[in-house]
Amino acid sequence: MAYQLYRNTTLGNSLQESLDELIQTQQITPQLALQVLLQFDKAINTALANRVRNRVNFKGSLNTYRFCDNVWTFVLNDVEFREVTDLVKVDKVKIVACDGKRQNPGALT
Amino acid sequence: MDQNNSIPPFQGLASPQGAMTPGMPIFSPMMPYGSGLTPQPVQNTNSLSILEEQQRQQQQQQQQAQQAQQANTGPGTSGQTPQLFHSQTVGGSTTTALPGSTSLYATPLTPMTPITPATPASESSGIVPQLQNIVSTVNLGCKLDLKTIALRARNAEYNPKRFAAVIMRIREPRTTALIFSSGKMVCTGAKSEEQSRLAARKYARVVQKLGFPAKFLDFKIQNMVGSCDVKFPIRLEGLVLTHQQFSSYEPELFPGLIYRMIKPRIVLLIFVSGKVVLTGAKVRGEIYEAFENIYPILKGFRKTT
Repeated sequence: MAYQLYRNTTLGNSLQESLDELIQTQQITPQLALQVLLQFDKAINTALANRVRNRVNFKGSLNTYRFCDNVWTFVLNDVEFREVTDLVKVDKVKIVACDGKRQNPGALT
Repeated sequence: MDQNNSIPPFQGLASPQGAMTPGMPIFSPMMPYGSGLTPQPVQNTNSLSILEEQQRQQQQQQQQAQQAQQANTGPGTSGQTPQLFHSQTVGGSTTTALPGSTSLYATPLTPMTPITPATPASESSGIVPQLQNIVSTVNLGCKLDLKTIALRARNAEYNPKRFAAVIMRIREPRTTALIFSSGKMVCTGAKSEEQSRLAARKYARVVQKLGFPAKFLDFKIQNMVGSCDVKFPIRLEGLVLTHQQFSSYEPELFPGLIYRMIKPRIVLLIFVSGKVVLTGAKVRGEIYEAFENIYPILKGFRKTT
């Protein structure tokens, strides 16, 4: 069971909205929508783990942090995201991070 | 010298497993002689060998015997001049007269006070140790749900698998708190007593705002750490030889000499550079007192090369 972390991303939210529309028009059942989301979790986790090669550096000042249930949540201010090609600056960024090395797959939601 | 030899010399001890500090000899409070609670500066030990120190002490003993008319009110001494004996005063810590100057004061009309400040070195050092860390505890007086606190408060960590407390930090005063489910809390990192209390109150207010009926019971400072610099290098090897009962020095384990002063009960880490760390105090005065006690001793072991 993979992290459901990526459902609240642009991609994940678009998928959820589309599924909600289909449910509204009775084209699929809610159960099927749930299965689709679970499949999405698996797919996005394996894709990011195996098919992503590029690297981004970021630097900013830490506003708050939290660690609970093995999930880190950071809020940074005045952050610069640097990739070799370009630079993006933001005033505020919230980072939610789960453990990368899977130790106890049963514990995941 | 018998008195010194009656104490078995400390052997190097293996440090307990995983310990960061070098192994410490278990110091027995049952001192065979006197009540060597406050360390005394031996003399100007610019001598290169123990032999010279022994000779100097024999000279002292002879001179003390000559002045036997004086009721030596130094406690625990009977005509002899042990290297270490108890002294209550801060100012007159140089109680053993220098061999060179004894002749000047060797008159029958020498004052009866046991403290003969032969040198002006008994004045204050002029250096004030700076407080670096205060550890305090307080009881919030109610059971706490740590997961709620970790989820709702800012700057909190909670990993029950590793440690059964929430670790919370605030920026002003810059401190860290360990908050336990029993309602007890430890506050570390403050630089003064008042800051420690203020920080603990701030943490209590955070917990209170989360909905717990937090109180502020039994605030107590548990430990204070100070540090300072005597501004000259120190001969640690000499110090451990003469103050065996209090010192532990194993350069292979730790580069600092660990001096366990008995009165006040403070542990000092003394380094070759002249930096001194003092810890174990419950009140600020103990740090200052310990430093004033150790300073004349350190001056006696100043490196001259």
